[in-house]
Amino acid sequence: MQTQANLFQHRPSAQWLLETAVAGIIRSATYLVLIAAACIFLTIGIKGAQTVFTSHWPFVNVPFFTEKPSTLYVFEWQGQKREMSDDAFRAFKAAQKVEEIPAETYAHSAGGILPCIVGTVLLVLGSMTIALFLGISSAIYLSEYSRDWWLLRLIRLAIMNLAGVPSIVFGLFGFALFVGYFKWNVSLLAGWFTLAFMVLPVVITSAEEALKAVPQGFREGSLALGATKWQTIRTNVLPYAIPGILTSSILGIARVAGETAPILFTAAYVVLDKYPWQVAKWTDFFFQPVQALPYHIYVVSSKIPQNEYTERMQYGTAFVFLALVLLISLGSVLLRLRLREKLKW
Amino acid sequence: MKNPNRFDRKRLRIDHFIQWFFGSNALLAIIVLALITLFLFREGAEFFPQNLQNLRNYRLAGLEYVGIMRDQIEAHTSLNRSLQDLRLRQSNALLKRQSNALLKLGKTPEQISTALVPFDAFAASFDSSVEELRGLVSEWTDAVSEIKDKAKLREDALQQRQFLLKEGKRAEADAVRVTQIDFAAELAPIRSGFPLYRKASVAFRGKIETLLLQPPPLAARELQPRFEQFQKAARAYLASFPATERQLAKWEQFAPVPWHRAVTSFLFGKEWITNSFWQDWYGVLPLLTGSVLVAAIALAIAVPLGVCAAIYVSELATPLEQQLIKPYIEFISAIPSVVIGFFGVAVLGERLRELTQWQALSWISGFPISERLNAFTAGCLLALMAVPTIFSLAEDAINSVPRAFKEASYALGATRLQTMFRILIPASLSGIVSAVLLGFGRVIGETMVVLLCAGNRIAIPDFTQGLSAVFQPVHTMTGIVAQELGEVPNGTIHYRALFMVGLLLFFLALGINWLAQGIVRRYKISAG
Repeated sequence: MQTQANLFQHRPSAQWLLETAVAGIIRSATYLVLIAAACIFLTIGIKGAQTVFTSHWPFVNVPFFTEKPSTLYVFEWQGQKREMSDDAFRAFKAAQKVEEIPAETYAHSAGGILPCIVGTVLLVLGSMTIALFLGISSAIYLSEYSRDWWLLRLIRLAIMNLAGVPSIVFGLFGFALFVGYFKWNVSLLAGWFTLAFMVLPVVITSAEEALKAVPQGFREGSLALGATKWQTIRTNVLPYAIPGILTSSILGIARVAGETAPILFTAAYVVLDKYPWQVAKWTDFFFQPVQALPYHIYVVSSKIPQNEYTERMQYGTAFVFLALVLLISLGSVLLRLRLREKLKW
Repeated sequence: MKNPNRFDRKRLRIDHFIQWFFGSNALLAIIVLALITLFLFREGAEFFPQNLQNLRNYRLAGLEYVGIMRDQIEAHTSLNRSLQDLRLRQSNALLKRQSNALLKLGKTPEQISTALVPFDAFAASFDSSVEELRGLVSEWTDAVSEIKDKAKLREDALQQRQFLLKEGKRAEADAVRVTQIDFAAELAPIRSGFPLYRKASVAFRGKIETLLLQPPPLAARELQPRFEQFQKAARAYLASFPATERQLAKWEQFAPVPWHRAVTSFLFGKEWITNSFWQDWYGVLPLLTGSVLVAAIALAIAVPLGVCAAIYVSELATPLEQQLIKPYIEFISAIPSVVIGFFGVAVLGERLRELTQWQALSWISGFPISERLNAFTAGCLLALMAVPTIFSLAEDAINSVPRAFKEASYALGATRLQTMFRILIPASLSGIVSAVLLGFGRVIGETMVVLLCAGNRIAIPDFTQGLSAVFQPVHTMTGIVAQELGEVPNGTIHYRALFMVGLLLFFLALGINWLAQGIVRRYKISAG
């Protein structure tokens, strides 16, 4: 009886043990990566949420999203520890009629990050407009007009290599060409073009894929009815490819928003006392530097000390930035899934 | 459009124009690449002539000559430092003895200092033995620095004049005064001071020799080998004196500096020193080693993890896991690098240091680590950035192995493990290798993480200490450009040197890319 039951029982052999052990190692290595990333998400998420959200109405730290960064003053007043931003501190001194109050100061640790958010949005909008225009045009040529010849191979090689160029080299290039040679100085325009050239390979590749995904029959049908090549592209190819192009280009947006190195010397300033829309002439708009979220994070994490007062601003900014970039990427993934279901031919 | 329609010429011409327009846009990728090369060269190429002038001035102004003596004194300082270290070890050993003793037989701090009196006397006279020579050399240092400053002024004036001439302002150009410098005459007082140097050097040597003959008794016996090491080093130092003297005697002020030194001193120079009162050096080696060290650490962590994750997702995971893990890892690649760098500064650096302070880990060399931000911290974070790149490319490579390979292996009775390691991985090896190379390219070009977390100390890590070299702070090529370009004036040699670093980085990235593509093309396995 005993032996019969054991016949079908699993007997661990050396081989089986080895298989299980190796599978276990591989599994734990995979989960290690996932946990490491979760650590970053959770640390920044939890600590940042304390800055961004509040426990009472309207549940969002409104000044954080509507004010400029300013210096934080920490001082003792009548036995109480007080924290104030630059303006409030000056008003307080005037109200109390005292000349000087000894205080510890922490740069960029009070106020909000509105100019940085605005700057990042402006940078993304401008550079993506340029990149999409140039990228889609090149992709149309590559997928619709070109035949296989040496120049085409050269173009493809160049695109592939451009994708591997480090972002700091784009920064140097933008600094030499736009800031120095064209004399645009450190400006929005210089930042736009530098970032646009950086994401160009991503946009070209994704646009070409989307164009190639449009069935050949659409083109042939149009051409057979006597349309010219351009009419065919305009009416029978592009409308079907545009959703695909835009969704994949969102990935490019995430990259443009996330990079710091290219705007270090081409577009970003640490502090500006005006908002981008406060310009004298409309042309000045393009030639003004901006503040940007990634550069602000770099400044607050490297140039000021780490302590309880500075931490709020640091984690809050990182939280907003990370949430922004991840939402953009999430949007891209979701849209791609929906598109795949919708467009089937 | 081979058959032009006779009745529709106009539209056809527009069509051609449109095609031409799109075609010219497609050329943009080539143009941008060419422009990057051109402008990096344009800003950076002037570096080599300037560097050559820099090196020539170093010789002409006599900095090189006095530098030989400075090196000699520097070597004495480092010997002195090892004596200080020895003293610290002795007092530590005595303190330990005290705490170990059950009865209070050990020594109080005062007793320790009394015990160390003979040693301190020895150290003090060793330290002071150099005084005479040091005084002489520091006087000469000031003198040659002055000559160098004069040469710099002259060069600036020359440059200004050339600039004015180019602008066509002849009169103003003539008004710029360019003083002639007679380098030989300027340096003559120092060269004629050679007998003084020799006298001081001989006296110095005699002092050390007599000191070495009467070594002090050590307060802690077990440190005797270390002291013997010091004595040996000191004797070797004395033995190098005649060579130094010969070098000084042989030195020629007007020996030509060959032009290739401008290139080699950049590519193989071991020092990157800027804004120094003495001499600026632009050697890329410490930055290159830093970049490569950080990238190597990152890859050593990321390659196993990335490849394992790819194998897991494509071979072992349940369908639900597959659906979740893949987008999750793609999400990791979307985390902006500056956020990862911030995480390193705010959290990881401190946690790693706390980890290394555990007693259980103290057997590892270099533990506990002293610096919060070092190559290892940056490497860990970069590994996280490289994993998604390696993962998705490696997964593609594994998935593109023809199904028949796997089926044939199972049909022959191989287990899952055997199939994985003997069929799938060898078949997709070319893809995995190129994934690793592209990951390397991404890591070496990454800026913000290394700028924030690598510690930013410009020095070649001390590899003689073995593994602990990875826990030293380093500076990288990307980091130095990001850090210093904002602060240097346009057109200076420092500015141009940064562009040369950028150019090197650019070609490095192109080379890695080319290699990765080549490997994929060459070793692709086909199903046939």
